[in-house]
Amino acid sequence: MDIEQKQADLIDQFVKQASSLHGSALAPLVADATSHPSLFAFSEILSVPSVLQLGGTENSVYLDVLRLFAHGTWSDYKSNAGRLPQLVPEQVLKLKQLTVLTLAETNKVLPYDQLMQELDVMNVRELEDFLINECMYAGIVRGKLDQLRRCFEVQFAAGRDLRPGQLGSMIQTLSNWLATSDNLLISIQEKIKWADSMSELDKKHRKEVEDRVEDVKKSISLKKLQTVSRPTLTSEGMRRSTLNLVE
Amino acid sequence: MASSSTSSSGLTFKLHPLVIVNISDHYTRVKSQMQQPSNNSNSNSISISNSNSNDRVYGCVIGVQRGRTVEIFNSFELLYDESTHSLDRTFLEKKQELYKKVFPHFYILGWYSTGTDAHESDMLIHKALMDINESPVYVLLNPSINHAQKDLPVTIYESELHVIDGNPQLIFVRSSYTIETVEAERISVDHVAHLKPSDGGSAATQLAAHLTGIHSAIKMLNSRIRVLHHYLLAMQKGDIPCENALLRQVSSLLRRLPAIESEKFQDDFLMEYNDTLLITYLAMFTNCSSTMNELVDKFNTAYDRHSRRGGRTAFM
Repeated sequence: MDIEQKQADLIDQFVKQASSLHGSALAPLVADATSHPSLFAFSEILSVPSVLQLGGTENSVYLDVLRLFAHGTWSDYKSNAGRLPQLVPEQVLKLKQLTVLTLAETNKVLPYDQLMQELDVMNVRELEDFLINECMYAGIVRGKLDQLRRCFEVQFAAGRDLRPGQLGSMIQTLSNWLATSDNLLISIQEKIKWADSMSELDKKHRKEVEDRVEDVKKSISLKKLQTVSRPTLTSEGMRRSTLNLVE
Repeated sequence: MASSSTSSSGLTFKLHPLVIVNISDHYTRVKSQMQQPSNNSNSNSISISNSNSNDRVYGCVIGVQRGRTVEIFNSFELLYDESTHSLDRTFLEKKQELYKKVFPHFYILGWYSTGTDAHESDMLIHKALMDINESPVYVLLNPSINHAQKDLPVTIYESELHVIDGNPQLIFVRSSYTIETVEAERISVDHVAHLKPSDGGSAATQLAAHLTGIHSAIKMLNSRIRVLHHYLLAMQKGDIPCENALLRQVSSLLRRLPAIESEKFQDDFLMEYNDTLLITYLAMFTNCSSTMNELVDKFNTAYDRHSRRGGRTAFM
């Protein structure tokens, strides 16, 4: 999808830079990466060995910041604000965008109240502005804003970086999807067979009825030959023959 | 002397589907008309030999030539005179006049025929047309049905002057072409491609056809999801290095499921479902009651003792 394409070059660029720098020189790089307006994926940078080496050293805060941006939300930041360095406004914005993505992971319909609470936004107008300008125009979410019911229906949300355990659940979802579609295919085939067999039965029934009508017609014409050659039939004969017809 | 070398004239050909349909229709008509008399008159050996030897049909193609692009729009049939090996000239000119009145921009661009390959005798016809158009095109349709063949059995030949054994001769060279459609043509071709069986107008066959379409679509989706599933499994086992961008895309895809779940959808769906069932029920009712009515009429007519004689019948 286009978001991934837009990010691919940026990711390559940052990874190259990160592999050439070490230690505290990575700090401005991390700040750059997390405030870049179109970069939403950080797991590639996280897997660069020089970045991983930051953990445990005095610069481990930067690694934490990167991890926060990869997997965490705004409320995570607020609860750990003491340990993490101050974030510049672009980083705050990006973190809020990523929070929206995380919320969209669990529910498809996000109530305004929950969004306002998670994003620290006071009124609906600001919330809607944020959603429209920062999220939808950036292309990371697509959806409909329902003002009457005060909720945001998400139709599409870009993917965030994967936590280690998420791969298993994704595989589980895929296998469920496969099982459902297999069952659906089988039931469709059964329906097709049912429709065909029903039409067969119907044709047979129709044919049977027509055959019987033919037989009765023949037997009437035989009877006609046998009775006396009078222009009109007797009342008994007529009743008998019409009785057969009505049957 | 038809060579299979490619044309070097640099002309781009655009063929409209109407032409292809016209040529195949012409061929089918002539073939089916020739079958009929040979069935009826078994002793008529002439018609039988006709249907064996010469089942080629001929005609003219018309269109527009703008610069290096030749666009073939339409075609009409012509009679081929065996004895003089030429096409009916007067008819051609008359048709040309008539078409000019309706389509002033169309010119005669060439001619068409059916068969498997271009023959030597075709060159004579080609040369005859060269006084109308200095470089006519020859459209050849191969009427033999080959199920393994994927593309259209239509080839376009141009004539080129090549020097062979010292004398300059005209030979046919193949050109490539593209299919160009006007909106109306696209709709009709689409319609023909989706023809449901028309004699099985019963509901069962239409239902079966519709369900088969859905079945194949879901099958394709199923196979693609299976591929994704395998890929993720392999990534989990470690056979393939993790590619984060792809994983992100898959996770965003999976988050789109379930596709529609809101309450409002359930309501609307159930309402529509109930409406359909209700209408089917009502239709069945009406059917049954009308059948019952007919039965009662027949019964009354059959068992009516009073008005059989005397001519007075109680008819509704």
